[in-house]
Amino acid sequence: MPRHLFRSFVVVALVIPVVHAATPLETQKARHEHYEELGKAFKAVRDQSNASTPDFAALQKNAEVVNEASVNQQQWFPKGTGPEAGKTRALPEIWSKPADFEAAQKMFSDRAPKLLAAAKAKDIDAVKAAFKETGGSCKNCHDTFRSPEE
Amino acid sequence: MTDAASPAPPARVRVWDVPTRLTHWLVVLLVVFSWWTADTSRMEWHRWSGYTLLGLVIFRIYWGFAGSSTARFSQFVRGPRAIAGYLKGRWNAVPGHNPLGALSAVLLLALLFAQVALGLFAVDVDGIESGPLSTYVSFEAGRAAAEWHETVFNLLTGFIALHVAAVIYYVFIGKQPLVAAMVHGKRAFPEPQPPSVRSASVLRLLIGVVLAAGLTWMVTRAFQF
Repeated sequence: MPRHLFRSFVVVALVIPVVHAATPLETQKARHEHYEELGKAFKAVRDQSNASTPDFAALQKNAEVVNEASVNQQQWFPKGTGPEAGKTRALPEIWSKPADFEAAQKMFSDRAPKLLAAAKAKDIDAVKAAFKETGGSCKNCHDTFRSPEE
Repeated sequence: MTDAASPAPPARVRVWDVPTRLTHWLVVLLVVFSWWTADTSRMEWHRWSGYTLLGLVIFRIYWGFAGSSTARFSQFVRGPRAIAGYLKGRWNAVPGHNPLGALSAVLLLALLFAQVALGLFAVDVDGIESGPLSTYVSFEAGRAAAEWHETVFNLLTGFIALHVAAVIYYVFIGKQPLVAAMVHGKRAFPEPQPPSVRSASVLRLLIGVVLAAGLTWMVTRAFQF
């Protein structure tokens, strides 16, 4: 195989995954996995904040995961990834009331940095308070935009 | 129940002591309360309800070894032969559980214990709400505990329904005032009257309360002090 042909194959192989847009189902699956990661990180924060000797490195690492997710989740709900695309607890209101949904998401991205700041400051009482606040923003959104568990 | 023609009603015998009755009815209240708080996502209250149930279950198990005569497992847990004999009518009524009712009591206590224990390890799908002991298990294990918590809840409600149906049968068909006995502790028996329940001392009661409350407190703190 001539060298330049091989090169163009490599280039094509590298570019295809970038160009290829995720299908709605793939987006749903990725979103589910993102939120599962977030759930794990949340549990880890809670575990450390209740420990008699908290592991602040783990606490900070997981608070960072939460903080990043609070910003990234604004990209996790493109149009067409609701119940019409496949099994999901995401309710159609996400797309029919975009302003309310944005406000709910913003509540999370406003509060998560405080959790991270408290973790960095190694202030366990502040972590506990911020955990409650941040958790409240999760619940706030879920109450309106997520269908109840079966 | 009595009319002028019947002989004087037989004297009533004490069947259940106060701790056993109180435990029973508190469990009834708190199982309903736990159901409601879970159903309406009042998780802070749900945890408190579960902790209290844990204390009650611990106390009831302790009372099954150290409590009054009718509360003791050794007094009422019997083998299949006794149960078969009871079903064939070979059973002299004595204060306490009959051999079949004993099965129900043990099963309900075991299910309740399993249910409370699973709740202690359970984690919700968001990692926000969780039982105190979930700190010792992974997110996945906590989720599995939560799913079992739901399964055992269904089992528990099924067996509670069976228990209630059996009691209704005894009360209305068998004319045995079981509910009243669990409320005021006494029941009439035909002559010759069996002996009343043998109470346990106040000291034993105190030990049980301290044991149950202490163990429960340690669990709520996840054994971290």
